[in-house]
Amino acid sequence: MSERLRAHTSRFVAGLALLALLVGVAACGGGGGIEGGGSTEVSTVEAESKPSGELTISNWPLYIDKQTIPDFEKATGVKVKYIEDINSPEEYFNKMQPLLAKGESGGRSLMMLPDYTVAKMHELGYVQALDKAAMPDVEKNLIKSLRHPSFDPERSYTVPWASGMTGLIVNKELAPEIHSICDLFESRYKGKVEFLNEARETVPLVMKCEGVDPETATEADWMKAIDKIKAAAQSGQIRRFTGNEYVQDLLNGNVAAVIGWSGDGVQLELEDPKLEWRMPTEGCMFWSENAVIPVGAPNPTAAEAFMNYVYDPQHQAQLTETINVVSPVEGVRPIIEKKGSDSANLKLIFPSSSFTKNCSSIPILKGEEEQNILQAFDSVLNE
Amino acid sequence: MLRRRVIPYFLLGPGTFWLVLFFVVPLYYMFKLSLETGVVGNLEFNWHWANYSNVFDLYHTQLVRSFVYSGVATLVALLLAYPLAYTVAFKAGRFRTLLLFAVVAPFFTTYLIRTLAWETILSDGSPVTSFLHAVGLAPSGHVLATSFAVIAGLTYNYIPFMFLPIYASLERLDVRLIEAANDLYCSAKQAFFRVTLPLSLPGIVAGTLLTFIPASGDYINAQFLGGAGNRMIGNVIQSLYLTQSDYPAAAALSFVLMAIILVIVLIYIRFAGTEALMGEDAR
Amino acid sequence: MGQGREWLRKHWIAVVGVLVVVYLLVPIAVILLFSFNDPSGRYNFSWSGFTLSHWSNAFGIEDLTEALLTSIKLALLATLISTVVGTMMALALVRHKFFGRRLSNFLIVIPMATPEVVIGAALLSFFLLLGTFSLGFETLLIAHVMFCISFVVIVVRSRLIGFDRRLEEAARDLGAGPFTTFRLVTFPLILPGVFGGAMLAFALSIDDFVISNFNSGTTVTFPLYIFGASRHGIPVEVYCIAMILFGVTVAAMGFVTWQQQRAEKLAQIRPDQEGASAPNVPAGAAA
Repeated sequence: MSERLRAHTSRFVAGLALLALLVGVAACGGGGGIEGGGSTEVSTVEAESKPSGELTISNWPLYIDKQTIPDFEKATGVKVKYIEDINSPEEYFNKMQPLLAKGESGGRSLMMLPDYTVAKMHELGYVQALDKAAMPDVEKNLIKSLRHPSFDPERSYTVPWASGMTGLIVNKELAPEIHSICDLFESRYKGKVEFLNEARETVPLVMKCEGVDPETATEADWMKAIDKIKAAAQSGQIRRFTGNEYVQDLLNGNVAAVIGWSGDGVQLELEDPKLEWRMPTEGCMFWSENAVIPVGAPNPTAAEAFMNYVYDPQHQAQLTETINVVSPVEGVRPIIEKKGSDSANLKLIFPSSSFTKNCSSIPILKGEEEQNILQAFDSVLNE
Repeated sequence: MLRRRVIPYFLLGPGTFWLVLFFVVPLYYMFKLSLETGVVGNLEFNWHWANYSNVFDLYHTQLVRSFVYSGVATLVALLLAYPLAYTVAFKAGRFRTLLLFAVVAPFFTTYLIRTLAWETILSDGSPVTSFLHAVGLAPSGHVLATSFAVIAGLTYNYIPFMFLPIYASLERLDVRLIEAANDLYCSAKQAFFRVTLPLSLPGIVAGTLLTFIPASGDYINAQFLGGAGNRMIGNVIQSLYLTQSDYPAAAALSFVLMAIILVIVLIYIRFAGTEALMGEDAR
Repeated sequence: MGQGREWLRKHWIAVVGVLVVVYLLVPIAVILLFSFNDPSGRYNFSWSGFTLSHWSNAFGIEDLTEALLTSIKLALLATLISTVVGTMMALALVRHKFFGRRLSNFLIVIPMATPEVVIGAALLSFFLLLGTFSLGFETLLIAHVMFCISFVVIVVRSRLIGFDRRLEEAARDLGAGPFTTFRLVTFPLILPGVFGGAMLAFALSIDDFVISNFNSGTTVTFPLYIFGASRHGIPVEVYCIAMILFGVTVAAMGFVTWQQQRAEKLAQIRPDQEGASAPNVPAGAAA
């Protein structure tokens, strides 16, 4: 017996040693590097003319190409930490809110968030004003349709990063005649349509199909549209509410049509010619992800320099080609066309004003109205 | 003698400290949160018990649905895991270890990837879906976005939690007891129901609890495999917390869920009549 | 044909068992298959051709590899801490009668009875309130240890319950002090249980999504990376890594079992002298 116990013990000791070694390696090596914002060095906020130091950017996944950051680092010497941790604006806002309330940004200097989120942040005092003199290219090249949005008329605290349109993505074989949001409610497509789980995009689209202008809609209008959606969900008309999980359903032929984003539309059309992004007859929802500099951001100088950098049409072109959303920068289309690259479906990336003539921007809701509407829509989602 | 008395507290110390600080205390704060009103950044504590009744009114459908889904999933998992555990414990011979790996190893790939794999397997055009439709398990012609898919996903992901305790109690079974039963003229079926099953009961109780409880609060399966009308209470809590930022309601709903689970568990343990989960030293 | 039916009647349990195993492995087969896929676009949902390029590039996506390493580091640390702490608790709970024992038992079980969504949210509120821990690796580690402890305790405790105390008495009779007894007799014999608890803790930690989602700050673990990527197209490399994880686990379990079997053969002890020591199975299931 003693031999066996000795065998056990020596094995145990060896195992423990190995484990300790592994843990030691793990704990020592790279313990700081993998952590997020908190360990980024905070440089003093000075009014420097030349950008330097480090810059931490929070963005959505797959919202940048591979070259922009290295090129920027080389051009300015700024070291960039790029985190793709924004998956849903509300989730992100909730995660950041306690820090922002204390005047901290978790080390981040730039965040890309939708119109309604940045409007709320501005109201709560969570964002800094921008130094326009530091961003001449932005001033020069921002496209006209985005210059004076209702939530930031002078673009004093936001710079658009990317824009997009929410409309219909249709499987031409299964649903050739769907051209309007209202068509999604027809019984022959029962169980074969999907709606977006974003209240501020889905409900206005349904309101538009009812003839109501989302920008002047009352709470009652919203509730009526929500009721219509609810009835469709309960009857089985709507298969499910999704983020961009509709992609898999479209590619697998599980659905005939969805409410979807133009960026996905470009990708899907490339991947499967049966699929097509269509502008609804009543118009789309036209939105932007905006870059803001949060309160407490280290190195706002570098942040502004970065935004200025991407507003140079040359630099913007490679970005637009990769992420396929509507570019907020003037002068990019000729560059892409000259390159003759495969950035197909320029209609979705450079929509003409006649194409988007019926589109609405995302309405900004406030206070109790916002709470009521979100709660009503959420209860439909969670049916 | 003093050292004797102190030893258990010393052993218990670190763990208890950790659990109290990082489990009990957060739950206390969450409880406080559930009695507050207002908006994010501006919450006020004022004994607002109405949060609980509101939340119960709004979401009792999802509560019931969650317990139904997880109840069915637990039952199916039991029916699948028990023969499996029996096979591995008694009938596997040389292949026992291999089979054991085969059962446990799939759960070392990530939960999400497994669920996404099921999304592919169960997509509308796949052979599996056609087969299920042919045998009548998918009346609407598709499997995804139905309660069947959600329950199937739950069952699949929680089978190891059912399997391992049952296997453990079967494996410790003294085979000679079954032999003795056979010697005393029991048929195989009788031997099973009178000897094996009762002796494996602690494993069954542990397994069902370890399956039912987490399954009730699950939201991944409903999100990826389910459709409109299949959402579970976990989805609601998540959206209350992360999307609507209605922390008091989220907290209240969480406690409602926990309370109901606790009641169900207590009734179940009473009924099953064993202290398997909160076991005392048998000797 | 009659023979076939007869065979089926006698072996139906084994047949069902094997069918269930097949059922368990089906998604794994799909994941394996799609790891060889060569999709033209971003999405890996339908088969478009065989390639090994993603396997050769399996660790080529920087963010993915970083997330994987974070998860492994986290799991190792969490396993170590929770196994040590949990084993100590199990020893106390099984072997000593003391004031507060019932309550401690209760305290162990409650976290397992709490849905992950609730634990995740409660911890997040708590960390934000405290402000002393930065949301990230620290908070993840704390959370993971917390939910692992209960499982380790349960596993080790059930191992301890079947333990033959006479072995310890025998050692004591032969002159060993309490620490020596523990080191040479008790611990080696409960080692399979401890190891089982450790493996369970590791598996729970590396696969955790819900609690991590709430408490990760900007740190990205492997499951969180997949969740983020799932909205925009999961790279094929993720599937390759999932298979690698699978393979490494199986290999590790196989190695441990092989070692155990070798040790047993070397010792050549009769089974009934072993008391509660490890039977011929990997410790992962020996609860």
